[in-house]
Amino acid sequence: MAADAGPVPGTLPRPPLAGRLRSLLTFAIAAAIVVIAYRQTNFNIASLFEGTSDFFKFLGRLAPDWSYLPSVWKPLIETLQIAYVGTFFGTLIAMPLIFLSSRNTANDPISMWIARILLTVLRSIPDLLWAALLVPILVVGPLPGAVALTMFTIGVLAKLGSETVEAIDPGPLEALRASGAGKVATIVFAVVPQVAATMISYILYSFEINVRASVIIGLVGAGGIGFLLQVRLNFFDYTAVGLIIVVIFAVVLIIDGISVWARSKLI
Amino acid sequence: MTAKTQPSALPPLPRPPAAMRRNQALMVAGAIGSVVLLVIVLITMDMPPWTRVVTGLQRSFPPLWRGFSRPDWELFPLAFNAMTETFFMAILGTILGGVLAFSLAFLASGNLLGGTRWALPGKAILVAIRTFPEILLAIIFVAAAGPGPTAGIMAMGIHSIGFLGKIFSDVIEGIDQGPMEAIRASGGNQLHVFIHSVVPQVLPEFMSNLLYRFEINLRSAAVLGLVGAGGIGGPLIQRLQFRRWDEISMLLLVIIAFVVVVDAISSRLRRNLV
Repeated sequence: MAADAGPVPGTLPRPPLAGRLRSLLTFAIAAAIVVIAYRQTNFNIASLFEGTSDFFKFLGRLAPDWSYLPSVWKPLIETLQIAYVGTFFGTLIAMPLIFLSSRNTANDPISMWIARILLTVLRSIPDLLWAALLVPILVVGPLPGAVALTMFTIGVLAKLGSETVEAIDPGPLEALRASGAGKVATIVFAVVPQVAATMISYILYSFEINVRASVIIGLVGAGGIGFLLQVRLNFFDYTAVGLIIVVIFAVVLIIDGISVWARSKLI
Repeated sequence: MTAKTQPSALPPLPRPPAAMRRNQALMVAGAIGSVVLLVIVLITMDMPPWTRVVTGLQRSFPPLWRGFSRPDWELFPLAFNAMTETFFMAILGTILGGVLAFSLAFLASGNLLGGTRWALPGKAILVAIRTFPEILLAIIFVAAAGPGPTAGIMAMGIHSIGFLGKIFSDVIEGIDQGPMEAIRASGGNQLHVFIHSVVPQVLPEFMSNLLYRFEINLRSAAVLGLVGAGGIGGPLIQRLQFRRWDEISMLLLVIIAFVVVVDAISSRLRRNLV
């Protein structure tokens, strides 16, 4: 009776040993990295709630002072201006780089790799860091902010754009080349119609990212509402800081909503 | 030789269809509109006079060039250690965000709560968290807990919930119902359904997105130090104030190298996962 009963009902067959060992090893390595990270950074969550600097008490001090609202409008508009200028020039410069860095439209391998390396470097520097780098060079104010967002937009948009261009249907491209069209004509008539809707959606997305960035780059002196925030923080004027945080949150939420709606209409 | 065909003898191209013409007109209008808006913005913006910008550039270019052409290698140990701290901060921030998002994601998944509308409060919370700028969280945590990596890790952890929670709940809502029903049909309870059908289906996607978020967090960890939240941003902002370009270029070199290498490793791991 017991000889050919097969596996006992109710128990599952064990997974193969190699698989179990591999997942055990992966888990052990991940756990070790976390423990090392924990010790290296002296992470101490309790420090947030200890003694005088109790986190929730501090949040209470951030209660927004609504009478400060009128002083917020001007820097807020400057923030949106910075985001717009950055998106505009970023898009303008990204366009030729997209076609230079895409495999199917590149001029030659050398300029393609130069463009790709340039874009990787542009992308690996975060927007706030661009602003921090440009403020000492370009005078405190909205100018370094707009240039910083331009740099960052080039990196993001060219990457998204070249992925789209590389995924297009090669048919029209070959048809135009076969009929002797020049490089520019090929791009204008074979590539642009295929990617236009997606690109506009990506430009809107970049604007959305740039609004998020433009509210904070002022912290390092690059103009806009972040600059006001930095000033108020230095004066420990926490009720004004609370109000500015609420305004920033509301603006980002609204722009996000509009951009998501517009993009859903496009594709 | 047959009859000479003149290029001019070719029939004219047909007019593009109406829908295409309308789209082209819209694009031209959009382009003109955005240029007009740009001119208005540039006029109303509080830009410094160009002469000041040009003289400023002329003054700062030589030291800039000198600094960036000769990074100060004596700073390498400090830069490397600071970037390692940044790296570990990003790991802890990602794990913290992952654990919190894992629990919140189930409260934002319609198919597990028995209806889309029950997931709405959870989804709203995730949107709010995602929208709140990370650097503001860092400022709040620095003001409350004092400067250091803990503030940065907390900021990253909380901010990551928004992104990870959304992706996680999308993944959960897209799972195959078959295994869930099979376990219910064979007498399993909710816990069995969760452990044996939900978790195995979502785990690879979760891991892949956790790695992706880690790539993003490494970049933000590098700048959180600008507001005192630990990592390489601290030494960087000090040197920016004194325009020590040779040291700044060293720090930037280490940041870019770390980010590029970690991106490459992480995207390779992600490809193996999904």
